[in-house]
Amino acid sequence: MVTKRTEHKWGMVVDLDRCTGCQACVVACQAENNIPINTKDYFQQRRAYEWIRIERYWEGEFPNVKARFIPILCQHCENAPCEPVCPVFATYHNDEGLNVQIYNRCIGTRYCSVNCPYSVRMFNYWQPNWPDRFRNQLNPDVTVRTRGIMEKCTFCVQRLRRGEVNVERRGLEPLTGERITGEKKLNYRQMKEGNYLPACVQSCPTNALQFSDQHDETGPVKERFDEANEQIETRHHGGHVDESHTRVYRLFEEVGTKPNVIYLKKVDSFPLEKA
Amino acid sequence: MKLTRRNFLAWAGLGAVGAVACEGFGIRHGELDIQSSVRLPEDLVRGNDNWYASLCRTCPSCEGIVIRVMEGRAKMIQGNPFYPTNQGKIHARCESGLQALYHPDRISSPMRRTGPRASAEFSAISWQPNAMDALRTALQERGRSSVMITEPLRGHMALLVDRFSTAIGAEHLGFEAIDNNTYRAAVKNVFGQDSMPDFDLDNAAFILSFGADFLSTWVSPTRYLRGYGEFRQGDNRDRGMFYQIDSRFSMTAAAADKWLPVRPGWEGHLAMSLAQVIIEENLAAPGVNVGSLTGGDAQALNNFRPETIAPMAGLTAEMTGGDPVEFLKNLARSFAASRPSIAIGGGSAGASSNGLFNLEAIYALNFLVGSVGEEGGVKFNPGSPWDDVPSTSKVGGLEDWARITEQIRSGETKLLLLHGTDPIHGLPDSLQLRDAIIQADDLMVISFSPFLDDTSALADLILPDRVSLEDWGDDITEPGPGYQMIGFQQPVVNPLGDLDPLSFPDVLLTVAQELGKESQLPWANFKSMLREGSDALFELNRGSIEASSAEEFWNNLLKRGGWWDEQSTGPKSVQAPAGLLKTIAGKASSPDFSGIGMDADSFYLVPFSHNTLLDGYNGHLPWLQAAPDPLSTVTWQTWVELNDKTAEQLDVKEGDILRIESSKDSIRAVVYPTPAAPPDVISVPFGQGRQYGSDYATDRPGKESSNVMDILETTRVKDTGSLAWAGTRVRVSKTGESVSISKLEGDVRAIEIGLTPAEDIIKTIAPENA
Repeated sequence: MVTKRTEHKWGMVVDLDRCTGCQACVVACQAENNIPINTKDYFQQRRAYEWIRIERYWEGEFPNVKARFIPILCQHCENAPCEPVCPVFATYHNDEGLNVQIYNRCIGTRYCSVNCPYSVRMFNYWQPNWPDRFRNQLNPDVTVRTRGIMEKCTFCVQRLRRGEVNVERRGLEPLTGERITGEKKLNYRQMKEGNYLPACVQSCPTNALQFSDQHDETGPVKERFDEANEQIETRHHGGHVDESHTRVYRLFEEVGTKPNVIYLKKVDSFPLEKA
Repeated sequence: MKLTRRNFLAWAGLGAVGAVACEGFGIRHGELDIQSSVRLPEDLVRGNDNWYASLCRTCPSCEGIVIRVMEGRAKMIQGNPFYPTNQGKIHARCESGLQALYHPDRISSPMRRTGPRASAEFSAISWQPNAMDALRTALQERGRSSVMITEPLRGHMALLVDRFSTAIGAEHLGFEAIDNNTYRAAVKNVFGQDSMPDFDLDNAAFILSFGADFLSTWVSPTRYLRGYGEFRQGDNRDRGMFYQIDSRFSMTAAAADKWLPVRPGWEGHLAMSLAQVIIEENLAAPGVNVGSLTGGDAQALNNFRPETIAPMAGLTAEMTGGDPVEFLKNLARSFAASRPSIAIGGGSAGASSNGLFNLEAIYALNFLVGSVGEEGGVKFNPGSPWDDVPSTSKVGGLEDWARITEQIRSGETKLLLLHGTDPIHGLPDSLQLRDAIIQADDLMVISFSPFLDDTSALADLILPDRVSLEDWGDDITEPGPGYQMIGFQQPVVNPLGDLDPLSFPDVLLTVAQELGKESQLPWANFKSMLREGSDALFELNRGSIEASSAEEFWNNLLKRGGWWDEQSTGPKSVQAPAGLLKTIAGKASSPDFSGIGMDADSFYLVPFSHNTLLDGYNGHLPWLQAAPDPLSTVTWQTWVELNDKTAEQLDVKEGDILRIESSKDSIRAVVYPTPAAPPDVISVPFGQGRQYGSDYATDRPGKESSNVMDILETTRVKDTGSLAWAGTRVRVSKTGESVSISKLEGDVRAIEIGLTPAEDIIKTIAPENA
């Protein structure tokens, strides 16, 4: 008998009304994923590595001006434009809804990057370089990528795997180490307690980022994904979705990529008058 | 064993049973495959990790953290989910504790100065006997005329340093470049409290903030950020309304529903104006004794009518979308009606010459709307659970630093002991502390810094301390969550083999005992001092840690990262001093902008604490240098925020180098034109411009990195003596030079600002539909 891996479908919800642009997610991601230090030169050459970045948009002019923030990361699209263009199958979709990059296969054509509407794929233009002491901090669960290959957000797959191993295979409660007697399926509480949520989500001080299995009744994203999927179904069948009464949307929905990241609209109490 | 037919059959049988058993145990799919090199390596999980609870020391609010350790190396920092103030959340700054730990520029062993002072030429010496002998001799010979300058201390470290200073005859002062003394004084005068209060943002319906960048850098931002998330979209509550009244468009202003740009230094007048409307229109919360607040003088606030104040504060119809007077009245009405509401003041509002008046006026609003001590309002913190351990140590203001500079110059101070601070970088240049130290004939400077900085570069002796992840400590959290709580810090890794730091408190204890001060400092080491504190908490027999013995209590305390007692709250209600509003009204004054004066071609300079570097304390940490500023997205450089239309008038564009000049000095900064800066205000972040130390902090000479402290006037806040850091006027001029700006904005092509309309990316919804 061979046991099958427990089925999961991961998803993230980003609440723009909570996001303040504080950068906690950005630094947490860099620490977790062995991202090279972004030097001044990298920024000046427009080649900084940020698997998650906070984009800031200005609206209006002084004194009626607003700054809007949006965290942008790999959307882990169901219909990912980056996947079919890879000539060596270095990027593929796994059975848990993750868009995965195989570093060993990548030959650096950068086709995927060109085809990504979200610009979340980073190319290693340089060999990553840390002073020797900083190397002590590198996460042993994450590959250090070499020059010439593509990288991007993985939803911290190494954390998901660690959670699956500890909860689903070993059957241990993350916090207490006690044996689990009931269902051994990694749930939201266990992910939170065991630090198995993606690093950005775990750090986000306003809880603007939420993550769990899309089918997990106990998780914070199921309701939102159900609503978003219903919208897609309605549109697919020619129906109308009243955009002004829902907070749920997907980035560049019209492109048809069907991301596994959902955004919640920013609530605007005093909208600016459009010119 | 000889292979016989019988043995062969026995082994074959066992093998078959084993094979069947293995199948039965359920080996996962893929487990027996030879791993292909095309598999994602992250799919393979190796080794066990351990998580240890401790405290973050990259900002003064000191969050509870857990640190992931594998094979003796710290790998990751996250929030301690049990810690009441940050509840599992962290700020961008916390993560970089790892970089402080493994920083390539850590000072590896004690060093003695070999060149002239300020040459930063040092040679390594050993701890025993050289460094400790030198320290002991200095204390013996100069202890009675010495000053100990540390970061603001709390808990057992404060107790130890205070006792040590007393024992050797030194004066001990805490140093913060942007101190909270004015805020503390306002809290004391308005609420009668010695410790900072907590703001219950989770349950507030209306936040009115004046100048405080509380979501980014002010006082306890991680706690406030967590509360802000709930304030916006918490379960089982309506979305809160948030107004920010601020002379700069900060990250906090960007998060507000409405930002009202106010002329710098007029925040207090606006607050009094709102109070006047609330009183005149009888909008105060039920049960509030307005008569007592005004001292029975109903006319006390008549000078602050919106009609008078709106033009003084620089409000225009364009800013307020109509008549500014009506706007202020409506704001007062909403603030009073949307209870529970909170008024918060700090940052630049408390950093002009009339800063104390401003903050007192702002915090007094809380009495009028009945939010003092209430849910969703201002909550007070109790004192330390330990009788003899101070919850805070004295932090010096500008007046103290001017006095100490004079003492150094006159030869009265002969020994400076420094820990965790860089006052040369953090004080205005015009105070001339640096010159005084360099020119002093008979001064010895001993620094305990693990990194070279602008002050330790002047030291005669550097005795490198351990960094926080290698050392013991505790913290009486301030501001606490409304009840008693103590955080504990434990070493999670040992220093690397090529480093030889010694724990600062242990060095103090050792040398004190060598000097015969055992009676004041009897502990063998800092850990045993903390253990004594733990035993005292155990004896209290209350709080979050359950244990049957002191040993078990200590272990559980370290596992949990601290102790707290939700039953030991601060005062639930506080009586306003009689005639509070009348007293505050009597203190009203306009802000003082001496220096170059109010000429039409000059600007208000409103500096601000950098989102990650703060006042420069974290300048050597590359993750924090590379974290884009939330608004300008600039990294690594010192930029000046200038209104985009003003920039056009001055004929400067992004990347141009501008000279910014006050009556004291001038600096250069890279221009970042922004639509959000008021036309008469320019803003420059604190934090850059270090002269000495790590390349990460210093490797960008003058034109891209400068210290705005260098040009600040030495105006003081009345009655507190703090530096009025928002009280400087400057002129700007073109240098004709330009650099490539180092920023994230425009880093990506597909969703580039200007190419894709913002509304396609960030969608919005009306509150009634949300």
